[in-house]
Amino acid sequence: MIAGIDFLRPGLLALLPLALLPWLARGRDAIPYAHVAWLPPDPLGRAAGRLLRALGALLIASLVIALASPGRPESVEVRTGRGAEIQLLIDRSRSMDERMLPSDWRTLSPHEIRHQTRSRGPIKSQSARELLSSFVAQRPDDRFAVSFFSASTLHVVPFTQHDEVVQAGIAAGGIHRGLSETDVGRALISSIARFDKRPYSGSRIILLVSDGGARLDEDTRLAIRAGLERHRIALYWIYLKGFNRPDLDMPGEASEAIPEVALHRFFASLPTPYHAYQAESSEDLAAAVEDVGRQQNYPLDFEERIPRQDYGRAFIAAGLVLAGLLLALGRLRLGALA
Amino acid sequence: MSATQDFHYRLPGRSGGWRPGAHAGRAMGSGEDFLAHASLFARPDPRRIDLRASLRDPRGDWLVRLARQRTSVPVAALVDTSASMGFGAPRRKLDLAADFVAALARAASAVGDPLELLAFDERLRDELGAPSSRQAGLGERLAAGLRAAVCEAPGHGALRETAERLAGREALVFLVSDFHGYGADLEAALDALTRARVVPVVVWSGQETEPPAGEGLAQFADLERGGLAELWLRPRLKRRWREAVAARRVELDRTLAARGLRPFFMGDPFDGDTLTRYFLEGA
Repeated sequence: MIAGIDFLRPGLLALLPLALLPWLARGRDAIPYAHVAWLPPDPLGRAAGRLLRALGALLIASLVIALASPGRPESVEVRTGRGAEIQLLIDRSRSMDERMLPSDWRTLSPHEIRHQTRSRGPIKSQSARELLSSFVAQRPDDRFAVSFFSASTLHVVPFTQHDEVVQAGIAAGGIHRGLSETDVGRALISSIARFDKRPYSGSRIILLVSDGGARLDEDTRLAIRAGLERHRIALYWIYLKGFNRPDLDMPGEASEAIPEVALHRFFASLPTPYHAYQAESSEDLAAAVEDVGRQQNYPLDFEERIPRQDYGRAFIAAGLVLAGLLLALGRLRLGALA
Repeated sequence: MSATQDFHYRLPGRSGGWRPGAHAGRAMGSGEDFLAHASLFARPDPRRIDLRASLRDPRGDWLVRLARQRTSVPVAALVDTSASMGFGAPRRKLDLAADFVAALARAASAVGDPLELLAFDERLRDELGAPSSRQAGLGERLAAGLRAAVCEAPGHGALRETAERLAGREALVFLVSDFHGYGADLEAALDALTRARVVPVVVWSGQETEPPAGEGLAQFADLERGGLAELWLRPRLKRRWREAVAARRVELDRTLAARGLRPFFMGDPFDGDTLTRYFLEGA
């Protein structure tokens, strides 16, 4: 690190020769004496005098260096982050209390599917919670935060590595029935805000589990885009597709009117990583969760900018200590004869 | 000045010179110091006829008494005014020297000797000195000049030149100095003054012979050569300081004794009685 020192005002280093002053100012404070050759030689006194002068020189030098503001220049360091920060954002709307397609839906006749789904398909929110809790349990290195949202966002658990808290937070989503609305925009903005002022120590993910989309106005879109970009958050959307619900990849201009498709297209347009998983049955959901887990399992190398560190304070402190020392030693000095 | 500073000097042996004065002289003349009888024809001074001696004289000559005349001896003071003489507070060593010059002037005029003052440092300082004179009040004027003088010359280079002004003169010469850094030039000066009676007056301030009272680090800058000494004053070093002073005193004594001279160590303040005793011891 010694090599990497720069000065904000290197020109002031030209003042460094001032440090020779204590040696040049010979006898300014000295007592005039008739005939110095007379005095007995005193190695101790000579050493003390040299020490005082060296201290004075050091003091001047350290002040000059402090004025020149030495410091370690701004540098970029590659760091390896272990463990992702995953914000689970789970839809708590009423539609999540509906059931998904039963696992053997492919064998059912089209007439039966609707009926069968109503009666024996797994409940969306419940299977999502189960899968997410096992997902959390498999990833002890990651930090999780849990939020539910419908009309507004309920932040249940802040970022933590404590597994039980996260599990309890996920389980809390199962209490009572869901609410009526689904405001994905507000939920995303407030989830992004939870990354504020956190050091970037690993990949960041918002895992949005929802069965419906929403139409976002331009301001919300801008806020989401800016927030994701600023915090470098990857967005994963597990879309729990209900029976007869629209497909995300539906082509055509007209499908822009469908909220889910519009949301998907907006997410896809983001500069940050985005992946959508459509899950129609709980098997699809399990596959999606597994896929997310696989994708975010790697240690993350990222560049961190380390700001310039100023060492000037250290030199000023050293100067202060030296000045105090000199003052203390100066009290031992004799100023005059008799 | 106070009476205690007054002193009297007397010289051992006889001095030459024709001018009548107060000191034992070699010249014959009117005096009480009987030397011999001589024939009236050889010394035709009938006032000095010695009747008893003439009657006793087997040849029947008229004899006259011959006596030595008491003589006056010129007095000169050589005063070092180099920077080291400006040392000392509240009174500089040069101020002490001025006291001495004033007392010397009184002593000289008391016995009718002429006084000459030569001040020198790196050059001869004529403005401070005065030619040989019996002028009344001369001493106070010279002393006032010395008290007002500035000491800043870094040495005493004109010592020899000054001494040569008195070369060959049979005078009483006071060499007033602190004798700091005197070496070969002192020898040369004393060579020039072989005919004179030299009294080295050593002026040392109490502040240079005694270490300062406090303890701690002290830096001393030489007034003449600009040297610097740093001492950690402590009881042991103070003892060595006093030892160094004593050693210098012994060395000076030895150097001068080789020429039959005895230095007079002047105290602060200048004490005339001590100097009188010095002359009584020497005479």
